[in-house]
Amino acid sequence: MQPRSKLEKFIWSLQQLMKIDAMNLVILVIVTLIGWSIISESIDNPGRYLPSPVAVALSSVDMLVKGLLPSYFSDTLVRLIVGSAIGLVAGIPFGLILGLNRTVADMFHPMLNFFQSVSGIAIFPIIVIWYGNSDTTVLIVIVYTSFFPIAFNVLSGVREIPLRYINAARTLGASRYQVTKDVLFPGAMPHIATGTRLSIGFAWRAVIAGEMLAGRQGLGWMIFTGQDSDKTTEIILGMVMIGFTWIILDHYLLRPLEESTIERWGLVQR
Amino acid sequence: MKLLSQFSISLQRRFGRQRLRKTLLGSVPFLVLISIWHANTIFGWLPPVFVPTIGEVWDAIFFLQEDCPGFMPLIKLDNDCMMTTHVLSSLGRVILAAVVGLPAGIALGILAGMSRPISKFLEPVGVFANSISGIAWIPLAIVWFGVGWVTTLFIMLNTIFWLMFFNSMLGVRSIAKVYEDSVLTMGGSRWDVIRQVYLPGAMPSIITGMRMSMGFGWRALIAAEMIGGDSGLGFMIFTSAAEFKIEEVFLGVIIMALIFMATDRYLLVPLEKWTVERWGLVWKPA
Repeated sequence: MQPRSKLEKFIWSLQQLMKIDAMNLVILVIVTLIGWSIISESIDNPGRYLPSPVAVALSSVDMLVKGLLPSYFSDTLVRLIVGSAIGLVAGIPFGLILGLNRTVADMFHPMLNFFQSVSGIAIFPIIVIWYGNSDTTVLIVIVYTSFFPIAFNVLSGVREIPLRYINAARTLGASRYQVTKDVLFPGAMPHIATGTRLSIGFAWRAVIAGEMLAGRQGLGWMIFTGQDSDKTTEIILGMVMIGFTWIILDHYLLRPLEESTIERWGLVQR
Repeated sequence: MKLLSQFSISLQRRFGRQRLRKTLLGSVPFLVLISIWHANTIFGWLPPVFVPTIGEVWDAIFFLQEDCPGFMPLIKLDNDCMMTTHVLSSLGRVILAAVVGLPAGIALGILAGMSRPISKFLEPVGVFANSISGIAWIPLAIVWFGVGWVTTLFIMLNTIFWLMFFNSMLGVRSIAKVYEDSVLTMGGSRWDVIRQVYLPGAMPSIITGMRMSMGFGWRALIAAEMIGGDSGLGFMIFTSAAEFKIEEVFLGVIIMALIFMATDRYLLVPLEKWTVERWGLVWKPA
């Protein structure tokens, strides 16, 4: 059966996905849980070192009832969304504008590379001295971590567009604005998509680390205080949630976005 | 004037016009940034508690090295040679994690990729492990190993290993079965298939994974040293920040960036380029 509408296509692909992976996944989860339980049973003091899956599940129910888990989760997610949105919205035009002129682009390329290599976590101590252990600190670190990878990637993308496309557009009488809109922006599109995914990936890790270091409530804070107060169940619960959140973000949002962008814009003949 | 132009021409011949232009242009923003930094100390826009002077940052190197009793303690990572001890212990962990983690990840990844059903089975494991790898392991690592170098090494190894495992597994899986079959048809052994088909075929993917794993691993290491370490650059800048020694923080951040850029530029990028040139253009049957 050939699917017709977009919705049908989506459901169809979902079904295909389920057919292949569901069985494997179920077996895998069961095997993991059994192995985990066996290890947990065989060591001394499992409550401290490796609580059994049942204990983790119980603690998750407990935290859900108390309403802690949803509040931590939403705190972390809001931080990630706000921070990376600011970083992306500022970073994409920044990279494009710098890329307009080859000289300027060559000028700023090493600098962006430098700041991209200084990870957000590394500048965290500086920001702490400036703003203290506050939400602002965490936000600045996230914005910083998401801004530079995207700006660097956009700039690289613009620089890699073959000159003849720009020249062709110019020859046909395009204005500077038209060149930007019709050549540079679409040409840099695959890089923008890759950079977005990279940016959000780095930002996600920065959120977790920032919450741990600055002591702001959220998933990172939850696993960090779990270590202080000997609640290993909370640590494992937090790790599982962090893992699942990122899988959902990456596999169902960012990767399809990247793939469709590359499919749509990426097949530029060199 | 003539001398000057001759000098510039000889420079251009020696280093290449394009490269010279790029280097000169690239240094402009850094110079501007440094002048703004210096202007800040002269005019005092931001107080010195927030932004140290360039001189202070430079002096911090010697201040940290002050108590160092000589060359041998420096090598032995004596606690009195703060600067070199922290830099070397970070570097040592990176190298150790790379030496252990990269081959282990590649080997197990290739083994997992060899059998398609198994690799399909293990793919979710890789996806999940990569999603929580690095920073999220820090609290559990502290519970298991306590604060110290084992924790930091564990975090770095964890990050590197899973990325390498996943990338080499996907790399092997993406090789067309035709190659494998043709080697087997011509009488090759299983080992021949690994050496002649899997390894070269997965190489581009492996190298990309290597670059990624060093990037993510280095970041995770810094965070791990801050939270659960007792030495290393991350530890150094975190403790300095707690004592409001901003010049040491700046120094640490600059050193970190320089180390990372140097490894990326002189080791990983050339490696990636070489591999893509050598192995990357594998013909893929439709």
